[in-house]
Amino acid sequence: MRLFKLLVPILFSIILIVLDARFSYLDSFKRFTLTLLSPIYFVVDLPSHVIDWVNDQGSETAQLVSKNEYLEGKLTELKARLQTYNNLVLENQKLTQLLDATYTIPEHQITLAHVKSISQSRLRKQIIINKGSKDGVHNTQLIVSSEGVVGQVTQVTPLYSTVLLITDPTQHMPVKNVRNGIRGITKGLATNEIGMIVEFIPLDSDVKLGDIFVTSGVGTTYPPGYLVGEVSKVDKPPNEAFLTITLKPMQNMDKLEFVLIVSEKND
Amino acid sequence: MTKNNSLLLLTKITIIALIVGAIALPSVLEIVSPFWMLIFFIYWIIYSDTKVLYLFALILGLLTDILQGSILGQNALALLISSAFIFSVKKSFYVSNLTTQQVYIFVASIIYLIALILTHITIQGFNFSWLILLSPFTGAIVWPLVRLFLAKLKH
Repeated sequence: MRLFKLLVPILFSIILIVLDARFSYLDSFKRFTLTLLSPIYFVVDLPSHVIDWVNDQGSETAQLVSKNEYLEGKLTELKARLQTYNNLVLENQKLTQLLDATYTIPEHQITLAHVKSISQSRLRKQIIINKGSKDGVHNTQLIVSSEGVVGQVTQVTPLYSTVLLITDPTQHMPVKNVRNGIRGITKGLATNEIGMIVEFIPLDSDVKLGDIFVTSGVGTTYPPGYLVGEVSKVDKPPNEAFLTITLKPMQNMDKLEFVLIVSEKND
Repeated sequence: MTKNNSLLLLTKITIIALIVGAIALPSVLEIVSPFWMLIFFIYWIIYSDTKVLYLFALILGLLTDILQGSILGQNALALLISSAFIFSVKKSFYVSNLTTQQVYIFVASIIYLIALILTHITIQGFNFSWLILLSPFTGAIVWPLVRLFLAKLKH
C-alpha cells in the first residue's frame, strides 16, 4: 500500500513531464498558477525596489542635471546615427523599386522593460522582466538590448514575463552573416558556458573570425536585422558536413539591466 | 505536532523555500546552491506525522517547477523520490547527531540531483553545467543553519 501511495504521484509527475515537454496542453495551467505565485517575485524583488527608492530620494539636483546633460548628449549622438540609417532606408527603397522586389524594412514597436533579480531553474538560462500581458507582452516576442538580441518571451503573467536567453541550449534562432548573407541557425551552449554555435553552414562556406551574425527573419517568429553575435571560432571537422562556428553574443547576459520588447507595429 | 500546526509549518516552509529559491545569486553560486525546497521539506517530514506526505511532495515540487520555469513535473518527481528516501530513514534521522543528519541530507540531495538530471538529459540532452554536482555538498553544509532557523520558526 505504501509503495502504491508513492508510485501513483511518481507516475503522475512522469505523465506531466511528457505532456509539458512534448505538448502545450498545460500552458494555461502553468500561466494561471504562476500568476497566483507572482507575489513571490514581488517579495524577492522588494529589496531592489527599496534601494531604487532610497537612491531616488538621495539624488541631488546637481547629479540629476549632470545626468540629464549626459543623456541629452547621447540622444543627439543617436539621432545623428539615425540619419545614416534613414539614408540607408531610402536607398533600400530605391533599390527595391528598381529591382521590383517586395522586400521592405519592417517597422517595429519597442517597449522598455527592467530585468528583475529573480532566480530561475539552474538547468535553463532564463530571466524575468517587469512587463507582462497587461503591457501587451505575449509569447514568442523578441527581446533585444542596446547591444543585440537577448532572447525570446516564453511565459507571460499579467505583471511579469519569462525570457529564454539565446545562449540557452534549447533556444534556436535563424541568423545570417552580415558580410555575405550565409544563413544558419544558432544554438546555445551548456549552462556555465558563454556563447552559441551556428549550425547547418556547409564546410566550403566563407565565414571568418569577427564576422557579425544578425537575425535573418526566416520564418515569422523573429524580425530580421537585429545583432546576434560575433564569430569567435571557426572549426572544420574532418568527417562532418557542416562548419562548427562559435559565436560570442553581442550582449553580455550577466550585465543586463534594461531590455526592449520588440513587436510589429500592428501587434 | 497537531495536524493544524503541521499544516501551518508546511505553509510557512513552502513560502520561505519558494522565496529563498527565487533569490538571484551570481551565476556560479546559483548553480551550486542547495535544493532549498528539498532541504526545507525534509525538516517538515522529520517533525510531522502526516499520512499524505507524497501528495504534499508532489504539490510543492510542481510549485517549484512553475516558479522556476522548469519542465512541469521535473522537481516534483525529484522531490517525491528524495522524500521517499528520507521517510524510510525518518526514525534514524530523528535521533541522529548533526553530522549523520548532514550525511542523510547529502544522500537525499544526490537522489534529487540524479532524478533532476536524468529527466533533463532525456528531454533536453546532455547540456548542463558540471558545477551542479556540487549542490548536494552545499545542501549538507547549510543543513545546520536551516535546522536552527526552522526550529525557531516552528515555535
